[in-house]
Amino acid sequence: MRILSILLLLAAAPAAAQNSAYRPPRAPDGHADLSGVYEALNTANWDLEDHGAHAGTLWQTGAIGSEPAGQSVVEGGVIPYKPEALEKKKANFANRRTNDPEAKCYMPGIPRANYMPYPFQIVQTPRGIMFIYEYASANRLVDMGKPEEALTDTWMGTNYGHWEGDTLVVDVTGLNGLAWFDRAGDFASKQLHVVERFTPVDPYHLNYEAAIEDPTVFTRPWKIRMPLYRRVEENAQLLEFKCVEFAEELLYGQYTKKPGK
Amino acid sequence: MMRVVLMMFVAGVSLLAQTQPDRSKSWTPPKTPWGDPDLQGMWPGNMGVPLQRPVNMGDRTALTDAEFAAKQAQAKKQAQADSQSTAASDSVGIGPPSYWVERGTPTRQTSLIVDPPDGRLPPLTAAEQELRKQARGGKGFPGEWRGEANSYADLNLYYRCITRGVLGSIIPVIYNNGNEILQAPGYVIIRNEMIHEARVIPLDGRPHLAPAIRQYMGDSRGHWEGNTLVIETTNFTDKDAIGSNGAGYPGDPGHHSADLKLIERLTLADANTLNYEATIDDPKTWTRPWTILIVLKRNEKYQLLEYACHEGNIAMGDILSGARAEESKKTK
Repeated sequence: MRILSILLLLAAAPAAAQNSAYRPPRAPDGHADLSGVYEALNTANWDLEDHGAHAGTLWQTGAIGSEPAGQSVVEGGVIPYKPEALEKKKANFANRRTNDPEAKCYMPGIPRANYMPYPFQIVQTPRGIMFIYEYASANRLVDMGKPEEALTDTWMGTNYGHWEGDTLVVDVTGLNGLAWFDRAGDFASKQLHVVERFTPVDPYHLNYEAAIEDPTVFTRPWKIRMPLYRRVEENAQLLEFKCVEFAEELLYGQYTKKPGK
Repeated sequence: MMRVVLMMFVAGVSLLAQTQPDRSKSWTPPKTPWGDPDLQGMWPGNMGVPLQRPVNMGDRTALTDAEFAAKQAQAKKQAQADSQSTAASDSVGIGPPSYWVERGTPTRQTSLIVDPPDGRLPPLTAAEQELRKQARGGKGFPGEWRGEANSYADLNLYYRCITRGVLGSIIPVIYNNGNEILQAPGYVIIRNEMIHEARVIPLDGRPHLAPAIRQYMGDSRGHWEGNTLVIETTNFTDKDAIGSNGAGYPGDPGHHSADLKLIERLTLADANTLNYEATIDDPKTWTRPWTILIVLKRNEKYQLLEYACHEGNIAMGDILSGARAEESKKTK
């Protein structure tokens, strides 16, 4: 079995490419079985676009806090901002140490949840497909039923899924527009609409694509694309990263009683 | 999401007393396509059963007819008051409007604690009594918050929106009582609306995490004993609290040790009733294990929505900045 998997892997086209020859295992309902623990292996969470390495926001953390270089995961390389939105993105970047929702341990939103440097797990159940993220215990249930209008705006959105062959397509609406796409300040409004595509290309990779549209922020719809890597450790499981307590000094430290008062 | 208040009026037929799981009943639950007992569903909690039984009730697990009738009458009165408060909901206050609060459907169960038989918490160990006295330089564990707000660390996990812990996430409270169970081959997931938890429970018999890894929600492993899902959870921290909202229970911080071993047993009593039992085994804290029973009723109409507690936590800043403002007023 192990040998067969390796052969399949070797035979597969580069992970990011579509491999229509690959037939993934089946879930009990007959659809492709995408279940597993996955993680992105790129710098999209630092910046979706092309970026060189640069210093972090706190010299005290030395090279540990610096920001690694990375190539764009955006189709065409650049996010098509409207001019005023681009100004806001730049301001976000300048203030990222305190304003990035990740610094505050806020839920990551979609698509960011999928390419943070933490694993997440897909579990396919008869009630829908669960995405559980290690970061901030965020999660979402993808409803495979008939799409309906979002009841309210949320961080992780209202998620409806369907299958196109072996590709899981998730339509995400009802996003509250408060999450960022990355630590570079890329953002959208609550008009954001994301259509995600998760395609298994071999036993160890999902091809992830997200079509992003928000006419108030961008001049046209755009896409990001990246492989997601299966965590193949035998004991792979999500651990707990309840980061609220790591953000409290940043958020509330200013209100702590000073000695002698 | 709050359950529709009208539910209370609709629930005209009182639920039968279900204070002890009756394992003699030969109910055969449905199976998932892969052959596990199928516990999946929306199982919101039902407010109204106290954790501990009033002492004067002794070992009695069910209310008498008279007591139950009185409880129902009280619930009806409360529901009327709540519905009237809808009209006045634009008044200013620090708590939620009355109609917003989930009151639950009256049941006959006299306490969540079903063991010890008196429905009361067992005595604390001597070491735990001492620990609680000495904690945080004599201030005690935060648990039930006592009003001091020198720093965010003075407030409990409830105010801090960190987590309610495993039990605090399922013990019914005044809002956000949604619980959903989902299953897949090799996994059970328990989602709690409070606070957007999704506990992934492997059923494949893998060992627990190494002891150095400690988690608020612990590390859960499940297996089936007949039609009962048994979940054993270890690797806890000693930082959360057992009790409603993960903030202890009235008059007690609910502190437990990191050695806590939690055994949950989930059994379908009938198609629409799930008995959730949890045994709290922590010899460092309590002189004997104790067990709670929460009877969950299926409600597929319940909408479990995202509870962004921390993201919307305005109260923390207000409590702390308010305390500082009070102090500077006094020094002037």
